[in-house]
Amino acid sequence: MHEMGIASSVLEAVHQETHRTPGCRATKVGLRIGEYAGVDQESLRFCFEVLAKEMNFSTARGSLELEIDYRPASDDLAISFIEFDDAEEPEPSGTSVRKAEV
Amino acid sequence: MNRVTIEKKVLSENDRIAARLREALTGTGTLALNFIGSPGAGKTAFLEKTLERLPVHTRAAVVTGDLQTENDAIRLRRYGFPVRQITTVGACHLDARMVEDHVSDWLQEGLELLFIENVGNLVCPTSYDLGEDLKVVILSCAEGEDKPLKYPGIFRKSELMILNKIDLLPHVPFRPELALENARSINPDIAIIQTSCITSAGFDPWMNWLERRAARKKAAASTLAAATR
Repeated sequence: MHEMGIASSVLEAVHQETHRTPGCRATKVGLRIGEYAGVDQESLRFCFEVLAKEMNFSTARGSLELEIDYRPASDDLAISFIEFDDAEEPEPSGTSVRKAEV
Repeated sequence: MNRVTIEKKVLSENDRIAARLREALTGTGTLALNFIGSPGAGKTAFLEKTLERLPVHTRAAVVTGDLQTENDAIRLRRYGFPVRQITTVGACHLDARMVEDHVSDWLQEGLELLFIENVGNLVCPTSYDLGEDLKVVILSCAEGEDKPLKYPGIFRKSELMILNKIDLLPHVPFRPELALENARSINPDIAIIQTSCITSAGFDPWMNWLERRAARKKAAASTLAAATR
């Protein structure tokens, strides 16, 4: 069940990034999983949901979504993006992109 | 909605520690092997046979991982080399921090060979870099020939495959040529040695291979030390 550890690492990264964007709420995190990474997607989704609730990422306003980008013939295992909405002053819908320093 | 683009390996903290460990192993010229296989593939018996055949003056050590018990460490200590058990208490793999915590003092004393026996599992240990020089996958003739196809990750990442328990071949419907073909279909470059811990078949080529690799690692460390002087 190393999926629990992977889910925990992903949520820790979301937590760190949320601290850099005060007032915002993480709504989605993107994860690339390669065929050879040794990760069971269903198990990971289950662990992610359980931990997200425990870590209060899922609130009355909605749950944190996990978007998996499966890559054949690859051993990639990386977080690719995090999406936020503005909890205090909602902005008009749109996408702005900035590079995170990780 | 704001999207923050990130490129972050999920296991980046493990990878950071593994890189530190690998640097230390490079400096000391220690050849580190990470043995991965299913429960019952014969990893511990294979290491027992290996330790039994090592020259007594070899500076070798073993860390062995299991969910519970010191049983494997007790078995392996009988051969006179230092052995430490890592009890993961539920975790299905070793990670770099566990290994570093258990070997740092050994590295300061100088080691030629470090054997890491991972938790019995063909999936989870594949994802974790332990700073090793190479992964060795152990498959036994009591398993299916299609294991390489079912668990391609570990066969792809391993430099060497040990096909173990070949003494069972007259008694089980296992076709070794098919297992080898399957392994090579996943990793055409994988080296394969067929062994039996009962008859000692295959242990001469294995020990020769090990000796050559250890000498190469030691020579690389000497070259590095000379270059940085």
